[in-house]
Amino acid sequence: MYKQRPDLLEGVFSMGMEYLRKLGFNLMDTNIEYTLKIINDARRKFVNIPDYKALFRFYEEIVEKVNHERPASAQAINMLRDLGKIILNGIDENLSIKKLLEKIISSLDLWERRIIEECNEAAHIASRRLVDGDVILTHSRSTCVLKAIEYSKKEGKRLTFYVTESRPGMEGLVTAEKISIIGYPVKLIVDSAVRYFMKDIDKVLVGAEAVAVNGAVVSKVGTSLISLIANEARVRVFVVASITKFDIETLFGELVELPESDWRRLMSPDILASLPENYIARVPIFDVTPPQYIDGIATERGLFAPQAIPVVLKDVYGKWPPEIPELEELVKKIKEILG
Amino acid sequence: MKVPDKVLEIAKAIRSMRIRGAGRIARAAAEALKIAALEYSGPLDEKSFRKYMAHIADLIISTRPTAVSLPNAVYYVMYRLITSHGDLNKLREVVINTADRFIQESIDAVRKIGEIGARRIKNNSVILTHCHSTAAVSVITTAYRMGKVVKVYSTETRPFFQGRITTRYLLEAGVPVVQIPDSAVRYVMHEVDHVVVGADTIASNGAIVNKIGTSQVALAAHEARVRVFVAAETYKFSPSTVIGELVPIEMRPPEEIVPREWIESHPGIEVLNPAFDVTPPEYIDAIITEIGVIPPQAAILVLMDRMGWALSKLKQGEIGKIFFEETLEE
Repeated sequence: MYKQRPDLLEGVFSMGMEYLRKLGFNLMDTNIEYTLKIINDARRKFVNIPDYKALFRFYEEIVEKVNHERPASAQAINMLRDLGKIILNGIDENLSIKKLLEKIISSLDLWERRIIEECNEAAHIASRRLVDGDVILTHSRSTCVLKAIEYSKKEGKRLTFYVTESRPGMEGLVTAEKISIIGYPVKLIVDSAVRYFMKDIDKVLVGAEAVAVNGAVVSKVGTSLISLIANEARVRVFVVASITKFDIETLFGELVELPESDWRRLMSPDILASLPENYIARVPIFDVTPPQYIDGIATERGLFAPQAIPVVLKDVYGKWPPEIPELEELVKKIKEILG
Repeated sequence: MKVPDKVLEIAKAIRSMRIRGAGRIARAAAEALKIAALEYSGPLDEKSFRKYMAHIADLIISTRPTAVSLPNAVYYVMYRLITSHGDLNKLREVVINTADRFIQESIDAVRKIGEIGARRIKNNSVILTHCHSTAAVSVITTAYRMGKVVKVYSTETRPFFQGRITTRYLLEAGVPVVQIPDSAVRYVMHEVDHVVVGADTIASNGAIVNKIGTSQVALAAHEARVRVFVAAETYKFSPSTVIGELVPIEMRPPEEIVPREWIESHPGIEVLNPAFDVTPPEYIDAIITEIGVIPPQAAILVLMDRMGWALSKLKQGEIGKIFFEETLEE
């Protein structure tokens, strides 16, 4: 399902690569890295397109790619919904294909800027929650969490970090390395050791793949277990997520689709060959943390209780419920018009 | 005092961890006592023999001071010797017979735990297990043969992947097994009916010391109202915890988690590798032993029943260890 990224890893683990591959190392993009890739991909495709039909074909291709690779990524889906609306408006207003393409490219540029700026701002707000002397636990790898840690360092806060290795994927090794480069002491632990160390931890800080309107957070698998453990030990859990990660479609009762993988994300074929023939593995990539285990979601508009998301959305869209078409219906509608 | 070579060999094998696993260590200890009795070549009086056996007992216990099954096996045999009377031949026979009985009971325990535990499993159950435990596998396979188990989730169990061993054993018994990463425990918990795990050590308050991750599996089960069963032989119960001794948690080398090269090239990162964690008794529904099912809070009952003599010695001495050579002075 997800492609291996050896190119990204070579520099990071030049020495232990073979060993890490044997451990089942299979690094995944952060949510933001993924959306930025999709934007770049779209920008490359949306040039020299002769007509609306060809444009729609490329658009549908990208929608399908995202639905296949990261179906839970609300940010990529929200971005694609925006593009769909632009295409639909173009049809309504009889825009020339050239004019429409201009609009699309400028929207993509805007999204790219927005995603980075909003992540930075959310990180800024999250970083205010980290106080001098805190011991922080983080899981997997998140662009905005690392940004928040950078801000804390700039402000001269003294922090210590616990990082889980975060199987499957082992993204925790990269996070540990990044935090260490930022200049903080890091302790790396296995995912199973979270409860053992929770008493030593002041706060949990994680990123998100998506946030549902009820405040449930979709994040790397293991996050919900960590939040449960934090809750048991009365340790606060903070999520950094810009509002573009809010999954509006959950408003209509849609469930967030959680992709699963198999042994390929846990081990190399060599290791599989050493196991019994009928060996089966079930490898979820994300899980859902219920709102009651989350103390705050840091967005670019402020830090909110997860249960307050409808209020935030009302503020953003001017009314409740916001008038937002489902992506699937939008695609269907354009398809019907173009025939 | 001459210690037979075979006894020294066993002591060495336990110390170097060539003999591993609570059950194997316990049986090796009983075997060593038996050999020592058989090959005794000292003066032919009762007192010398007692002194010799006490020396051997202390020697064996010292090989792995933190293991619980090892002193328990030695207590089991030595208790019979200390409370028996008679001439040298009689005492020698007591040691040999008791050691044999311990070994046999220890082997039978796994089967008995399987039978008792399987009765606690409901029909059409999905079971989750963590790490590898012979006793837990015995419960699961016995329940499977009774037609009660539809699926087993086995965690990988980082850093050593003992879950792969569990998977192999269960697949060999025909049990349908699905392996999951340790981080996915809460994700699948709503499908699970029972958690069955083993134990390394059981403390007198019913807390379970087991492979790192067990306590969070139990917490996730507790949240989902899934029952947690711990399958453990009675020699896993720790007498010294009765006098408040803590069960030491071993910190293992970081190289078990990431390669040495990675550690060396990341001097700012400390890799912490605790081998065990402690599951509090409130997250455990029952401990399944070969002598029956008990609630964890009644762990003291097993200790009094099986290790009563050791308990009284520990209390008297107010120390964490019994030195058999000192008991002779009474």
